[in-house]
Amino acid sequence: MRGTSSTPDLAVRLGPLRLRHPVMNASGTFDLLEAEARYEGDLVASFPFAAYVPKTVTLEPRAGNPPPRVTETAAGMINSVGLANKGLDHYLGELPRLARLQTPVIVNVGGSRPQDYVTVVRRIEEHLAGAGATPLPDIPAYELNVSCPNVATGLAIGADARATAELVGAVRQVTERFVVVKLTPNVTDIVVVARAAADAGADGLSLVNTFKAMVLDGQTLKPFLGGRTGGLCGPAIKPIALRMVAEVASAVAVPVIGMGGIVSGHDVLEFVACGAAAVAIGAANFTGIAAPSRIVGELRAEMESRGFAGLSEVRGSALPGVARSDFAD
Amino acid sequence: MDADPALSERAVERACRIVEVRRFGPYALLSMAAPDLARRAVPGQFVMVAVPGGSFLLRRPISVHSVTSERVRLLVEPRGSGTAVLAALPVGETLSVAGPLGRGFPLADVTAGLLVGGGIGTAPLQFLADELRGRGVPLLAAFGFRDAAQARLAGAFDIEPLWVATEDGSIGRRGTAVALLDALEIPAQATVFACGPTPMVAALAAWATRRGSSGFASLEAHMACGSGACHGCVIPTSVGYKRVCSDGPVFPLGELEG
Repeated sequence: MRGTSSTPDLAVRLGPLRLRHPVMNASGTFDLLEAEARYEGDLVASFPFAAYVPKTVTLEPRAGNPPPRVTETAAGMINSVGLANKGLDHYLGELPRLARLQTPVIVNVGGSRPQDYVTVVRRIEEHLAGAGATPLPDIPAYELNVSCPNVATGLAIGADARATAELVGAVRQVTERFVVVKLTPNVTDIVVVARAAADAGADGLSLVNTFKAMVLDGQTLKPFLGGRTGGLCGPAIKPIALRMVAEVASAVAVPVIGMGGIVSGHDVLEFVACGAAAVAIGAANFTGIAAPSRIVGELRAEMESRGFAGLSEVRGSALPGVARSDFAD
Repeated sequence: MDADPALSERAVERACRIVEVRRFGPYALLSMAAPDLARRAVPGQFVMVAVPGGSFLLRRPISVHSVTSERVRLLVEPRGSGTAVLAALPVGETLSVAGPLGRGFPLADVTAGLLVGGGIGTAPLQFLADELRGRGVPLLAAFGFRDAAQARLAGAFDIEPLWVATEDGSIGRRGTAVALLDALEIPAQATVFACGPTPMVAALAAWATRRGSSGFASLEAHMACGSGACHGCVIPTSVGYKRVCSDGPVFPLGELEG
């Protein structure tokens, strides 16, 4: 089909999900209900992302970390929000407000101990099963945020392959839905954790979460963030994220959602070339409300100018010795 | 007219041309052709401005200094490298501006206004003064600056009467804006409107409590999204962390004491 002028097909598959294009939002960087309340236009009807990933929900409300929580860094930004959220009960109460969304919702779950994740997922399953006539959005998948510190050890669950596997195995017992594990890059070898998650039953992997980092107050030479350290994101981390996505996509059979510093359609193509089945944009959402539609438009235009009919023609092209047929999803 | 400021018109993102720049030392008062935003804004709201040049990721939150039917004015202090770029922009440059955002000053029951500003925090008080004047509400203003260099900001305001203090005593009374208040005749029923650094707002909140006055303060914070998504801009209040961008930037003074 190369060389034809037909419009490229941006649709991708992510396990059971059929996405109209590969771009979803990274959890915590776009709040549909807040944006809908603030900005002109019908954001629900013209939702720019192919899937909506709300902010991480935890069993109990969390106040989050002391301010300041964000600041710009060279080619990026750092944040230390601390999973501030109103807890599961409030979250369930808000779900009907997303019912009009014609886009799948991926519920991002966090917790301080493995049992918290299981409880959240089980209660969401019960809620969905018992909803009756209550209108709810389509929730085909979960994303487990394993970057939260485990209260028992102080370490991120996702920094420990065994703890990650146990968590995935436990969640696997309480849901049939598509379970994505969002990996932390703050490990020596992300492939080890990726394999452990996939072997324990994860249906997909998303990476990378933010890089643990620090910025100082220029005057006091003390840590700027109230939480002392934070997570670095934005274009500064893109080359590291690409490397990690390529490593994981080469090592596991489950689909990978790539993220880390995507701000353009070309960036999306690069993540797909590194094996990503879909991508998420995070910090770019802070550049403006139009960023996601701009990025999807750029992706379409670049595929067209390169003569790609579909993303499968690009998928994995940066990986050594990979044939397109290796991606079964 | 007295619409709940929380329910003011919704925000838009627009390319806005700078049509006039007035400079006060390092500070710049940028006037942008932005009829759409001017019509929607209420005093106390802010806009998120993209820094031109491609070197900066995040938009910068800048409060609306004042509006005309055609223009939105922003008073910019070159505080970091991003705002330094904004403050140096010439006439003719086009900026991507998103807004208006946040909840403005509640004005429904105001019969007299005391406007207290510190440093660049004075910025939104011109818009507020214009609005109060338009409603026939009497007002007076007290501004505090570090020194004579920062006091050049006062040139960006058309408010009568406007009392000025500097911490080094080089212009006006020596001391803070709050210390200045004890020397002024302030109507008993005046609502306090404040914007400035955290210590000033805390001192003013304590002053208002002693006096039995109610009031509001507009706060600033580092922001990422500017619209409630990221929870990056929270400040501690008596009722827990609140997002400056979407729960504020205007808060009741009573929530900010201590």
